[in-house]
This record gives sequence, structure tokens and C-alpha cells, in this order.
Amino acid sequence: MSDYTIIGSRMPRVDSRAKVMGKAKFTADLKLPGMLVGKIKRSPYAHARIINIDTSKALALPGVKAVVTGKDTEGVKWGVFAYTRDQQFLQTDKARYIGDEVAGIAAVDEETALKALDLIDVTWEEMPAVFDPMEAMASQTELIHEEYPNNINIHVNIDTGEVDENFKKSYYIREDTFTAPEESYFQAEPYAVVARFDHEECLEIWCPNGGPHMKSKPLSNSFKIPLHKVKVRRIAIGGAFGGRSEICPADYICALLAKKTNCPVKIEFTREENTIGTRQGHAMITTHKTGVDKEGKVLARETTCYMDGGAYSSTGPIATSVPFLSMEQVYRMGSVRYNGYRIYTNKPIRGMIRVHGRGFACGLDTQLDLIAEHLGIDPVEMRLRNSRQPGEYTGTKSYVDSCALDETIHKAVETSGWKEKWGKLPPFHGIGIGTNSVQTGFPMGIRGGSQSFIKFNEDGEATVMSGVVDNGQGNENMLVQIAAEELGLLPEDIHLVNADTETTSSDPGSYSQVSTFVGGQAVKNAAYNCKQKLFEVASKILKVAPDTLAAKNRMIFVKDNPEKCIPIKKVVRISLLNFTSVNAEGGYWPKVDMKREWVSNPYGQMCEAFSFGTTIIEVKVDPETGQVTVMNAVACQDVGKALNPLVLEGQFEGSVAMGGQGGMLTEYHEWKEGRCINTTMLDYKLPLACDMPPIKSIIVESIEPKGPYGAKEAAMSIAMSAAQAYSAAVNNAIGVYMDSFPLTPDKILSAIKAKKRLS
Amino acid sequence: MDKIDITLNINNKPFEVTVSPNDTLLEVLRDTLDLTGSKESCGEGVCGSCTVQMDGNPVRSCLTLAMEAEVANIKTVEGLANGDELSGLQQSFIDHGAVQCGFCTPGMLMTADALLHANPNPDENTIRKALGGNICRCTGYAKIVTAVAHASDPQDDCPDCKNGGKTKE
Amino acid sequence: MRLPKFEYLCPDTLDGALELLATHGQDAKILAGGTDLLVRMKKGLLRPIFIISLKALNELSYIKIEDGALKIGARTSIANIIASDQIQKQAPALYQACEKIGAATIQHYRGTIGGNILQDNRCHHYNQSQFYRSGRQACHKDGGKICYARDDSDRCNSTCQSDGATALTALDAQVVLAGKGYERTVNLTDFYTTDGIMPFAMDSSELLKEIIIPFSSGQSAYQRLAYRSAIDYPIVCSSVLLTPDTGKKKIAHARIVVGAMGRSPLFLAHESDSLKGKALDDTAAFRKAAHSSMNSAATFAVHNVGATLEYRCAMVSEMVFRALEQAARALKA
Repeated sequence: MSDYTIIGSRMPRVDSRAKVMGKAKFTADLKLPGMLVGKIKRSPYAHARIINIDTSKALALPGVKAVVTGKDTEGVKWGVFAYTRDQQFLQTDKARYIGDEVAGIAAVDEETALKALDLIDVTWEEMPAVFDPMEAMASQTELIHEEYPNNINIHVNIDTGEVDENFKKSYYIREDTFTAPEESYFQAEPYAVVARFDHEECLEIWCPNGGPHMKSKPLSNSFKIPLHKVKVRRIAIGGAFGGRSEICPADYICALLAKKTNCPVKIEFTREENTIGTRQGHAMITTHKTGVDKEGKVLARETTCYMDGGAYSSTGPIATSVPFLSMEQVYRMGSVRYNGYRIYTNKPIRGMIRVHGRGFACGLDTQLDLIAEHLGIDPVEMRLRNSRQPGEYTGTKSYVDSCALDETIHKAVETSGWKEKWGKLPPFHGIGIGTNSVQTGFPMGIRGGSQSFIKFNEDGEATVMSGVVDNGQGNENMLVQIAAEELGLLPEDIHLVNADTETTSSDPGSYSQVSTFVGGQAVKNAAYNCKQKLFEVASKILKVAPDTLAAKNRMIFVKDNPEKCIPIKKVVRISLLNFTSVNAEGGYWPKVDMKREWVSNPYGQMCEAFSFGTTIIEVKVDPETGQVTVMNAVACQDVGKALNPLVLEGQFEGSVAMGGQGGMLTEYHEWKEGRCINTTMLDYKLPLACDMPPIKSIIVESIEPKGPYGAKEAAMSIAMSAAQAYSAAVNNAIGVYMDSFPLTPDKILSAIKAKKRLS
Repeated sequence: MDKIDITLNINNKPFEVTVSPNDTLLEVLRDTLDLTGSKESCGEGVCGSCTVQMDGNPVRSCLTLAMEAEVANIKTVEGLANGDELSGLQQSFIDHGAVQCGFCTPGMLMTADALLHANPNPDENTIRKALGGNICRCTGYAKIVTAVAHASDPQDDCPDCKNGGKTKE
Repeated sequence: MRLPKFEYLCPDTLDGALELLATHGQDAKILAGGTDLLVRMKKGLLRPIFIISLKALNELSYIKIEDGALKIGARTSIANIIASDQIQKQAPALYQACEKIGAATIQHYRGTIGGNILQDNRCHHYNQSQFYRSGRQACHKDGGKICYARDDSDRCNSTCQSDGATALTALDAQVVLAGKGYERTVNLTDFYTTDGIMPFAMDSSELLKEIIIPFSSGQSAYQRLAYRSAIDYPIVCSSVLLTPDTGKKKIAHARIVVGAMGRSPLFLAHESDSLKGKALDDTAAFRKAAHSSMNSAATFAVHNVGATLEYRCAMVSEMVFRALEQAARALKA
């Protein structure tokens, strides 16, 4: 039985009430007095030199308040790393993709702004563009960025040694190549930003974000104003999935327009802008060469991955690494060599989507199934023989503490009825398994830690301050649960102030799956410290030692004698009467190897904990149309500790939908010469309620020693493993191992036909 | 063209508004009347985030001219609760964890509310079909479907039907 | 997304509407449910000066039996079509097609059958935002001289993706077009221009008033393929009508129609005729007709509505076959 009151309960989320009443305010819902409408002029060409931008006609239009171009900027270039600063927020020399920002406009209303947009006269000189990463590397035409030869943005090389020797020792070696096109986030909320400069010349800004502090720094750099003058405010956020962590040029353009007009400005993206003007997931071509022994244990692997990075670097070094990291975490490999290349092309910018680099689209699990079949091993057994075990080090020297991967495999196998189904299903029915692992955090230097402040009010309620942001996954509820549990209060006694850079300390954000582990832990530590102050006061009143006390249900009581107690509210008031307010701070900094660097030194402790997940999917394929009906999904993850199973199940289910059903069956982008054809919700095929299978969620708790209450990353390992399970299930149903993702009906049908011809 | 004065009946209250012919109902709700619960996500009648009810039927307010909405009884997400008292469906969404980012929630609720009025005890397939035009990117729909099913028909074996708002002892 | 400006006209009577069309037809568009028109306007694909709303014309919303035919007012909502027992009984293909239109919340209450028939042809190079279409030459349908779907094509190859029109063509329906002071009835098969830019053979001063479905002793069926089971337009569809002979064992008449593969629903006369006299359970004949339908339809189609052309062509055969099987099954029952 759990010792906790609130942690581990199926507590409905604190933010739901406002959302079901339509009262929760998202950025586009904001209205400020005198607010103007902002719009962005984007390049209609994939690669074109800017000869001139004439804004005079636009400025002459009545109702237009300002037009900004690259000339109005400080010329600062943005990049996640010092060595990847390659993107201006308003281009001055040339545009590198269709959608690149060249000007911004602010007007009294939308109609005027749209009209003015057409009146901005840009003289372009079109240049040869390149859209395929392999062509880009060989291209003889002008580089997309001069400083990057062969259009290679990033090269990550990892070699754990003895790869060639181990290939020689291998019993069976095979090499396969897998391809996957780009995909997109399609957050429910299109991107929007509201900005204004207040009377103290502080920039106040609202926008969907994966971490307010990750927005404030680049804004402070761009405007050359101190950090305290950039106030990123909390606002409800309609989904992020990794697509809102970085600064968006619109943030800067909106703020620049606000500065120039001295009025608040709002920019709302169209769905098309959200698709091409934020980030996308990388297209990838991955080759795995894997050597195994007779029992199927992987002795050596060499993986080469070419990633289409689009026009700018974004989180390039991370994106180029993570596909590899996921596979090295989940499976043991005797030795491994990895070469990841991120290539510039004249297409929209690629960033992280759910995780960086889409490891699930690398085909590693498909190859594992191929090897298993060759050796006559069941895919489940194949995974168990290679699965990560607790207490081991990964190839790049990260220690894995808690790990219940095997348990997730066993439980998913049992619940799905794998043993009764594998090899025994009727034709065109299939079952497939995927396993994966995700990091709980990255080394993030001075921004890797989080700090929380807690103050008690005289009514016995507490205000909790935290930099953690909620993108929709339930982070705010998580913080409230932790604070209430730790302080002995009820959730309704907690007033949360979060995701506001003016009032909260630096925090890594809802980024790298670290909100609970780092931000939650900071709140837990602050609450613990605050509780000790309460105990000190209470101990004097109750005449016992502070360490004999506990707090629960708004009461402080003696652990061995609960009837000896005092309300927390009373303790707070007595403390105040003794000239001491009750407040505290607490923080958490993950112990990672600060010398680890993505490109120059990809070795050392990556993060403190890793999550592990298994998904099993059962499908039926229509052999005449290639259409897939998904019958069942079982999602099982080692989350360390489930702080709230209700919320967690929702994360698992969403992961199956986006990672599996969308990621592997229906979602991908189509192009015509650098123009993204399917930017809208009609043309980009997001999964629907009527097409989703029932999903069974199973939570495995390995209790991570370093996590808050034992918690670590939750649900991303489902998104990743679900994708693999979907493809494995289809492969099993049709008896063909597909090497081109996603598995659309046309590809499935071709595979079925090709197989028929052969047999 | 000139602006026109019309009356819209929204959540049982008449609102006199001045609109342009090219104003959509969604724009008038959000921009003129500050009823920002209805959301624009796709703007072309696909995603369902802007769904409101007209005479009890769910419709896309982004593809309905404000002028075409005159006379009808319009219900928006703001009209689901009775003051502070949530409707059973709203409470069920909360209790079953059907809300994540919450951006699709208002439209989802308006479609589901209309379904439950027409069919108080829909089975799972009926619910999934009825919600086919409301896209949610967060939930995988599982908890939304359960929330709709259990809104009118609470289940004894559902851990979330009864403990709404309460934490475990 | 903002609609462009227009003048809104809302006539009280059909005559009033026809009067307005006679005056403004060239510059006007009819607004029924708005689910197709308003999206195109938002994308700047058309900017009518006048919008003539059918909102007040309840007289165009009906389903009735008259003169041995089913008559449907053009403004009848898709919801009412689906709810109609008469249509389920007399024109199952139309029922099945309407069920698949859009998603329940889009189609049922605002969308109309007239609007579904008159939904404009689509092409993924054309149904795009103004921004998308900038920075490249305009295509035929957009007022230019090139086609992005088929290189070197001197005409527009946009595709008719109407579920309703495909089913109604199989049902041998007619449409009644009203102009100021006249009405004319046109077979749906003659209603198309084969010009993707303006696919319908009607004058801008005319209004689609009614759809007439002649009674048949046969059974109809509709099959379609799309990415998802709601929202999406069909990437290929087929509707058939099988009329039995008096003994009810053989096919006296067949109508095979393929949709979403050309500028209009494709009535395949040769394949239809091939089934004359065939037994209701002659699966081989169905397969053969379906295969031939694929070859016929393939000559019209271009890659412009999503899935690969090769796949869509292959699926014509399957959809036709399934529709034939379904109709035959219904006849045998």
C-alpha cells in the first residue's frame, strides 16, 4: 500500500475545469487595448536572393502601422548552439525555403494587414534549389549556407571500438536500408504570439512554448536587452510535441512590430504557416549493418543515417544523435559505430518531433525481426536476448539505473495474448512488437536545472512558483500533486504560478522529457524544505521533535500518535505571530556529465534515468486494397513511478495515436519542388476517433532512485515503440518486411502483389 | 459592403451585433462577443474545434456566415454549464481525463453533447463515428470516448466514474 | 482565415433568387451549406461580388415521390437524405454515398445534396492557399496556362470527388436547372462539360433546383476508398445499378460509374453493357467488368488527389467489383 495520499491517485487534472467551460485562455484568445494584427511576409521561392524590399506601398495603405524587414533587426543570428547560429529571424540576403520570413507588418485589422502583405514588393533573384539530401551533398550549385561544405550541417560520429573485429566474430550479418519522409506536429492550436513593450520598456510576450526560459534568452539576445526585461507569460498551450521549444521567428517579428508601433501586436498563424513555418520532423535514410551470434545477440552494429534537415540547423546536433541514442539505450550491442549526417536542403526547418530524430523510423526493429526470422527465433525472445538490463552502461557510457524493460515485454506479451497469436493468426492478420527507450533529460549546461519557491499564505494555502510549462500533458497538475503531497495540503490549497520568466527561476522546460524529473523534483524539494519550517514551529507547539512529525490533509501530526495534531493553517499563523513567514526554495540539478557534447564528445552520462516501453499491435490488412484496420493496442512502459495513472494512460493513448497510427500508417508530407502539398488538416492525415483501436495501457513501476517518488520519463517510449509495433504488425500480416515508412495502403498492396508474383 | 445589425441568439440570450457579410459566426463569437471558447484550428471545416450547435445540431462555425446564423438558437461551449454547475458531460470529461491540451475540447464537447441529446445511450462505435469530424492530437481519443459513454451511463467498474474531483484516501 | 468581402443577398423566394441570378449571375455564387464554397473563398480561389444565400428557400428542401420518381430538393441537407427511409429503399447507393460525405458534423446539417453535386473539382496543386500558389505560374483552373498534375497538358485535369454525384449518375438521375422564367431537365450524364475549369454544363444564371431519381426495380450500391473513415474525399469510388430481368436471376441492365478518377463521374457504357444477361452470381463477369473499368477510368485520371495514381487505378477494379457484388447480393436477398 502506498504511503502517499495524492501521488499515485487518479486525480482529475486541475486545469480541466477551465478547459471544459471554454474559459481557458490560449494566446489567440488574448485581447489587449489597442492591439494590432501582425502578419508575416514569407518567401514564395525555395532558394532566392533578395535584391530589394520595397515597403513604401504597404506603408502608405491606411491602417498600416509598421512594416519591418531585416534592416530593422540587430542582425543577430539564432542557433541552439554557438556553433549552429545560422538563422536570421528576417532574412536580408536570401531565402532558403518556401516560407522563410522576409518582412512583418502590423495593421489595425486583419483585412488591412493581408492587403498590405501583398503590397510589400520584394525583388527576388531565383536560384537553383535542392530538395533531396543526397543530391544536396553532391550539389555543385551555390551552397545553402556558405560555411557548410557539401551542405552537411552536422556530422555525428560515435565509435565504441572493436566494431570490425566483432563483425568478424558474427555468425550472421545483414545490412538493410530504411527510408522515412517528413512528418509534422499538427498541434491543435495553430501558432500564435502576442507581444507588447510595457512602460518600463520590458517585452511582455505570450506564445505557445516548450519552456518560457528557452524563449526569453534568444529574445534578450536579439533585442540586446537584459533577461529581466523579457517577460514570457504563462498561457494555455494547445499542444507542442517538441515543436514549440525553440524561439520562433514570429516571436521576434511580433515583438519588433510591438516595439516599432508602441502597441500590442498579435500574430496568428494559419494552419499552413504552422506546418511550414515552425518545424517538421526529419526525413531519414538509415542503413543498419548488424552482426549477431547464433543465439541472436547483437555483437556489432554499424548505422549510417542521412537526415534531411531543411534550411536551418535548429537542434541539429541533438537531432542527429538521438536516433542512435534510443537504440543504444534499449538494446545491448557488443560494439557500435554510428555516423549521422544532417543535410541542409531548401525545405522547411526540421526540429524535434516528440523526440529528436525519430529513432522509430530507422527500421532497427524491422531488422531485428528479419534477423530473428532467419535464426528461427520468436521476435519477443529476440528482444529479451538483447534487452537492456538495470545496472549496465550504454555504449556511450551512460549508467542505466532503473530498468524494467523485460517486465514491460512480459506484461505486454501476456496482455496481448501474443503466445496464442504469434504465427497462428489467419492470413492477413498480424501481430507485432516494438520496444524502445527514451532519455529523461539531456546535458543542458546552465539551463539543466530547475528551482522552485513556495510561500504560505496566512489562510494556510500555499503559492508554488515553478518555471515548468504545461503544453497539455498535465505538467501543472503534476506540480500541484507533488506540492500538495509534500506539504500535506489538498490540491485545491495549492496556487500555482508557473511558466512565467518574470517570477520563476530558470527551468529546462517541457523539453527532453524532463519536466517531472527536474522541475517536479525542484518543487518536491522546495515543499520539503517548507514543510521542515512548519515542523519546526509545530514541534514547539506539540512539544515533540520535528522529525517525529508528518503532514497530511491540512494537518501536522505526530507520526506515532496521529491524534496529537495541529492544523497547518494554525502553524502558519503562529509562525507569523513570531515574526517569521513560512516559505522556502528548493531546486534540482541532474547529475549528468557536463563534458558530454553532441558532436565533439558524445560520451559520458547523458541523463540520470531512461524509460523503457513495449507496444504490441494487432492488425488486419485488406489484401485487395492494402488498407489496415488496427484491432488492438497494448502499451506498456516502465515509468519509474506513476504519479497519476489517469493522466499517464492518456499520455500512453496519445502516443499510440501519434507515434503509431499516424506515424506509421498515415502521416507524411508530399512535395512539389520544395512546396509542401499537404499542409492542411484535410490533406495531412491525422488519426480520427473512428479509426483508432481500443488501447490497453499497462504501467510498470521500477522506482527510479533519483526520480521524484521514483518517477522518470513517461509515455515517449510508447510513442516510439508503438511506431515499431505498427510496422511489425503489418509486416507480420502481409509476410513482407517493409523498408519504406509510413506503411500506406499503396505500398502495402505493392508488397502483397510482389510477394504473390514471387511465390 | 456596409455592416449590418443582426441579432444572434446565443446560449439563450439575444445579442445585437454589427457584422460584415464576410464575418463568420466564429469570428463574431470570438472577436465581437468575446466568447473565445470556440477555437479556430484549421479554418476550413475539417478539425471540428469551432463546432457550435445551431438548433441542437453541431455545425462548423468557421464555415457558417454570421448572417446565416440569425434566427437559430446557437449554443457554444460557454452555454453548456448552468452557471458554475457543469453539465454531466463536462464533468465526465474532467473525471475521465478526456482533456489534455484542451484546444479541441470545446468542439468535442459540442459534438458529443448533440449526440447525447439525440441518443442518450450511444455505443462505442456510434460515439467514435459521431466524433469522426473532431480531431484531437493529444489523447488518442480513448478517454474522450469513455467520457462520452459514461456521461449518461456511469459504470460501477470504472475507476473514474465516481471519484470525480476526489483523491484517493 | 478571413473570407474576402462580398455582398450578401438572401432572396425569400425561388423567383427572387432567379431574378438575382439573371442580373448578377456572372459575379455571384450560390451559398447553400457553404462547406465547399466558403473554403474556396477563404483560399482566394474565387472572389464573387455577390453571395446569393438559399437560407430562406425552404421550398428547395424536400424528398418526395412523384411521377414514378424520387424527387429531392437541391437544398435538402445531407442529414435529411440519410434519415430518409424512401432514399434508403429506393436509392441505397445515394444513402451509402451520403453517409460517407465529410464527417458527421460537417456534412449532416449544413451540407446539401445540391452542394455536393456542385462541389467544384479538386486538385492538390490547385486547392491551396494564395501563398502556396504565389511564386509559381498559375495553373489552368487558376487562370493560367499550365497543369501541375499532368505535364504539358493544355487543359485542366481537376478531379470530381463528389460522392453524391457518382451515386446519382449510377442511379440515372436527372437534375432540374431553373433560370429566370424557365426550367430544364438534364440527365446527370449530360451535365458535365469535361472541362476541369468549369465542370458543370449550366449557365451562371441558373440554379440547381431538384434531383430526380427514376424508380428502378434494380439495386444500387456505392463503394469508396479514402485515407480515413471520415472527413476525407474519396480517392476512388464506384457506384452501380443492377436491374434484374423478370426471372430475377439475370441482369437485364447494368450501370457502372466510377468517381474521383476524372473531371466528372465516369459512366462506363461498355463495361455496363458487358453485364447484360449475366447471372447475378457471375463473379467472373463482375471481375472482368471491374478490370475493364479500371483500364477505361485510368485514361482519365491524373495524380492530383493524394494517393499514387497507380494505386488509385488499381483500386478502381476493386471498388467496381465490390459495388457489383453488393448490389447483386441485395438483389438476391
